[in-house]
Amino acid sequence: MAVLSDLVDDIIADIQGLVMFSPTGSRYERFINADLEYPIIVVAPENNVNAATYIELPIEFDDARDQIRFGIEGAIESGIVAEGDAVVCNLSIFDDGPDSLVRVQVGESIRSGIYDLFVNSRADSSVIRDVFNVAIELGKKGQKGKPVGALFVVGDAGKVMNKSRPLSYNPFEKSHVHVGDPIVKVMLKEFSRLDGAFIVSDSGKIVSAYRYLEPGAEGVDIPKGLGARHMAGAAITRETNSTTIVLSESDGLVRAFKSGELIFEVDPEVY
Amino acid sequence: MWVLQSFPPVARDFVAAVPQAIWVAILVFIASVVAAVITGRITTRLLLQLNIPTVIEGTALERTAQEFGTSTVNLISGIVRYFIIAVGAVGSLSVTDLQYGTALWQEAVQFLPRVFVALLVVLTGILIGDKVELFVDERLRQIKLPEITIISRLAKFTTFYIAALVALSQLGVATLALVVLLAVYLFAVVAFAAVAFVDLLKSAAVGTYLLLHQPYAIGDEVEIGDTRGIVQEIDLFVTHVENEDEELIIPNTLIFKRGIVRVR
Repeated sequence: MAVLSDLVDDIIADIQGLVMFSPTGSRYERFINADLEYPIIVVAPENNVNAATYIELPIEFDDARDQIRFGIEGAIESGIVAEGDAVVCNLSIFDDGPDSLVRVQVGESIRSGIYDLFVNSRADSSVIRDVFNVAIELGKKGQKGKPVGALFVVGDAGKVMNKSRPLSYNPFEKSHVHVGDPIVKVMLKEFSRLDGAFIVSDSGKIVSAYRYLEPGAEGVDIPKGLGARHMAGAAITRETNSTTIVLSESDGLVRAFKSGELIFEVDPEVY
Repeated sequence: MWVLQSFPPVARDFVAAVPQAIWVAILVFIASVVAAVITGRITTRLLLQLNIPTVIEGTALERTAQEFGTSTVNLISGIVRYFIIAVGAVGSLSVTDLQYGTALWQEAVQFLPRVFVALLVVLTGILIGDKVELFVDERLRQIKLPEITIISRLAKFTTFYIAALVALSQLGVATLALVVLLAVYLFAVVAFAAVAFVDLLKSAAVGTYLLLHQPYAIGDEVEIGDTRGIVQEIDLFVTHVENEDEELIIPNTLIFKRGIVRVR
């Protein structure tokens, strides 16, 4: 047993922070009452433990690395930890509650922009989250069992509209549909067989469907092998302040782009 | 009297010794206790059926009641029970023809139902007030300003005040001054709101028109006054227009006053 606790001692030696992912109330209470000399950072969908240092988790990341990155970037942004610090994350990799301790050295390598994508985008973070959920839902079910692709451009809608042209009449003209509305999931499933992009405004209003994006694709660096939809989605984020969320028809993954770069990808099937 | 015949002689003497009116009174009292228990049960059932416990969950009254090991539902059915027992007691006393300074007694009896209603009103008022506070608090949670709780407090105490007023007038206490105070207070709130929100209301009226008819849409290039830019967002109160280096947030009233130029 001495050897095992050595392992744990190595992980928790000289840390400057403890990041707890979705802790239960009693668990958090125990740690906060222990008067640790480093801060406890809670990362959860809702702050139901009333933690002083809390970072909101907008969606459930299926990749533990994305989850950790999000938490650490959030902590850097709020000034709780700084570059060079070592922190320990307590999270659940499988479904049965917190099951792992991960030591992370805070540095440039940890930054992927995943926190930035949700929190510092032009659009509200709840809008990005809603679009994400719609894309994931669409990826899971597809259109009548067949996989579908979709492209959502979120934020900076005025500029995006001026950098695109309609492929046909806009079904959302003079409508006031928001991505968070429950009806949208049904509606978008039908509209997803249309070609082109959906354009969503900063506050979540669906401005248009059926848009052909016309950005210059110069200097866009995305992994080779992604198709025209991803290229167009990535390129528009370079020319405007928007974020794009793309559901791939061929591999079924949902990817997010910002400033012309692929920020992260998730597999809808894992949800 | 055949029942009495079957009793042993001692019991027969005892029954005969006590006046018949007392027996009737005791019977009336027992009947009222039975009725009280049954009505109490029915009230509890009814309140549970109406889902009252979930509705009032988290209110101060419910929490206090739970601290004392009971619940609001029990409290209300308890009041109902005691009221019926009290009525029964009064009824049985009146049967016995006992004289207790009759005028005062009569008044007290007539007063009893009013006290009962007043109690119920106060209880309901406290519950509704607490619920209003919770509701307003929930709505204002996004605004992270500690002093904002004053609004929910105000809403709560206004409800309490009205409940107290109803209860007092139920008891026949002179409440005219309190009513005048309430009227002045409500008038002040309305007048204050009208003055404070006049621009918002105007903007909302224009915003309704803009949202219904959409004379311009997101992505259009427009000119308002001397400024020109691309429309980014239209909501009930404001329009966001953006040009190269600034984002203008224009109240919708201004759009109606100055007009808007769509640039083709």
